Amino acid sequence: MNSKASNISAYVFLILAALCSVFPLYYMAIAATNTSVDVIRGTLLPGTHLFQNFSNLVAGTPLGIAMKNSLVNATSLTILSLVICSIAGYGFEIFHTKGKDVVMNILLLAMMIPFASTMIPLFRMFGQMGLVGSTVAVILPTISTPFLIMLFRQSSRDFPHEIIEAARIDGLNEIMIFFRLFIPTMKSTYSAAAVITFMGAWNNYLWPRVILLQKETMTMPMLISNLKAGYVTDYGMLMLAVLICTLPTVVIFFFFQKSFAEGISGSVK
Amino acid sequence: MKKVLVLALALLLTFSFVACGSGSKDKDASSGKDGGDSQTLNVWCWDPSFNIYAIEEAAKIYEKDNPGFKVDVTEMAWDDLQTALVTAASSGQTEELPDIFLCQNNAFQKNVTNYPDLFVDISDSEVDFDQFAEAAVGYSLVDGKNYGVPFDNGTAVVALRTDILAEAGYTLEDFTDITWDQFIDQGKVVLEKTGKPLLSGIAGESDTIAIMLQSEGSSLFNDDGSVNIANNEELKSAIEVYQRLVKEGVLLEVNSWDEYIATFVSGSVAGAMQGCWILANVQSADDQSGLWDVTNVPKVAGVSGATNYSAQGGSSWAISSNSANSDLATDFLAKTFGGSVELYDNILPKTGALSNWLPAADSDVYNEPQEYFGGDAVYAKIVEYAGKVPSVNTGVYYYEGRDAVSDAITKSLGGADIKTALKEAEDTVKFDMGQ
Repeated sequence: MNSKASNISAYVFLILAALCSVFPLYYMAIAATNTSVDVIRGTLLPGTHLFQNFSNLVAGTPLGIAMKNSLVNATSLTILSLVICSIAGYGFEIFHTKGKDVVMNILLLAMMIPFASTMIPLFRMFGQMGLVGSTVAVILPTISTPFLIMLFRQSSRDFPHEIIEAARIDGLNEIMIFFRLFIPTMKSTYSAAAVITFMGAWNNYLWPRVILLQKETMTMPMLISNLKAGYVTDYGMLMLAVLICTLPTVVIFFFFQKSFAEGISGSVK
Repeated sequence: MKKVLVLALALLLTFSFVACGSGSKDKDASSGKDGGDSQTLNVWCWDPSFNIYAIEEAAKIYEKDNPGFKVDVTEMAWDDLQTALVTAASSGQTEELPDIFLCQNNAFQKNVTNYPDLFVDISDSEVDFDQFAEAAVGYSLVDGKNYGVPFDNGTAVVALRTDILAEAGYTLEDFTDITWDQFIDQGKVVLEKTGKPLLSGIAGESDTIAIMLQSEGSSLFNDDGSVNIANNEELKSAIEVYQRLVKEGVLLEVNSWDEYIATFVSGSVAGAMQGCWILANVQSADDQSGLWDVTNVPKVAGVSGATNYSAQGGSSWAISSNSANSDLATDFLAKTFGGSVELYDNILPKTGALSNWLPAADSDVYNEPQEYFGGDAVYAKIVEYAGKVPSVNTGVYYYEGRDAVSDAITKSLGGADIKTALKEAEDTVKFDMGQ
């Protein structure tokens, strides 16, 4: 009887927690189908204004351009970041040199430096290189992050060193070992890293806003920010833009969901 | 195996080339402002239905006498524009700045003082500043030099639901040219008879106090730029009025801007006091058409120099010193925002953007009765108010002062002594100023 009661209370608690988590998403979807005034007045039911909001959004903002730019920036950063950080993480774990721990510690210390403090020197640097407004300038500062290097280094610890020895005896060189043995084995870590990097890059706001000064280079977070900058905010349109902006990250997350959990917990199959 | 390696390297190279390629393309696109096209001005501003629409309409008018002229507008929220200005100025990379940008009036002094190299002095240009409302010109006037052309009119108004007032036995005249004491007394009656507070405001923000303070001809800073908070009697009176408004339930405090808008759009309060730009939000509820009207703000009783006129917000156009076309930019602003009744006539119906340029008020469009406001010619009324707003020194540290006073208001509403709270606020601002 007691266990039944505790089961019920656990269910009630979990249902409430689930409702709290899901409600903002529900509200976002509902608000996207309503007029601005209805959203302001707090309606919680679906409306009939979805297509009107969509046509307003398409007509009033460079939605296509912003989507394309965000996709190009986030995808290039994710691919390059994964290649570079995994090589670094692998190298730190597999190869033993004297100073590697010192270098790793310096990298970890770099995690403590807030981005805002390096923003102005970075802008100056890219300005002098004539790269302001370019994709390169957006992705270069975050192409290698201490967090990803650490993630790959931690995962490499579970990578059986005997396989490397065997591969060396069989005549594979170090680069081949990395590409042919390490990458296929570490799929789940790559998935986790891809999800984290893509989401970070997709939602990145401050640096792209500072470095991308032309309207042709606008990204989705900037587009949303602009929607809220006027005297009158069209909340229905705003929520639809937020919904559209959320979709790619949701798709990526669900696509990699299974391996993401494995990658974070560091399992190697 | 080689295939994997080749594929990986090819991917890396492709992306690098794509990235570099897009970089050089963007650079080419932006090079126009460095003198590449002498008839195109780059502009940074925000709000497509207001500022962007206005500058594009201005360009159409200017183009009639200057064939080939156009503006290339980049939409940028104010906070982002401010960040971009600071980053460009601090890093010395000002060549990325546009020819013209819009600047919030309250931030103008600080930007000109901190980054004088970013702004072009237009005091001796064709712009006739005497034709603008004095208070509006004051925001962009630094050391006697003009750095901005006033655009967005921030004249404060009280917009009221006349149907709710009628329920309580009042008309708009009962709320015109009155003091805050009368406003609170009548507000109590309205609350009692209709259950609705007259106003709403965001808790912990000092917008309402700022409006009262400017109506008294006072500010948080003295003319020499020093802080004027701890011993500012006008500020103390304004805070006392605010405390009474909240205590009597005449002003309903909410937690965010969105909730604030919701209070009058949903009809749970009977009015709003803000810069006149709030009328765009007031008009978003179609079912309230004809039920609103506009009047001036109450004045603080017992303060010499107190008026029924004030301002809140607003913005001005500035010309960037990086502009290779600064003469063209000045001429464009002088002949449109500082010289075209047609422009203000064109933008008023769609945007509700009101002129700080006083000659525009004589136009027929401004004198047209507005159906939403019960047939009252509210725009002509507001421009008339604009000419009477006391000009005050917003100070370089306006936002720091505002935030410190907001904290003081919260403390005083919580029961703290006003004098002590204001002394703390003054110390905070002095600390921010490095004193």
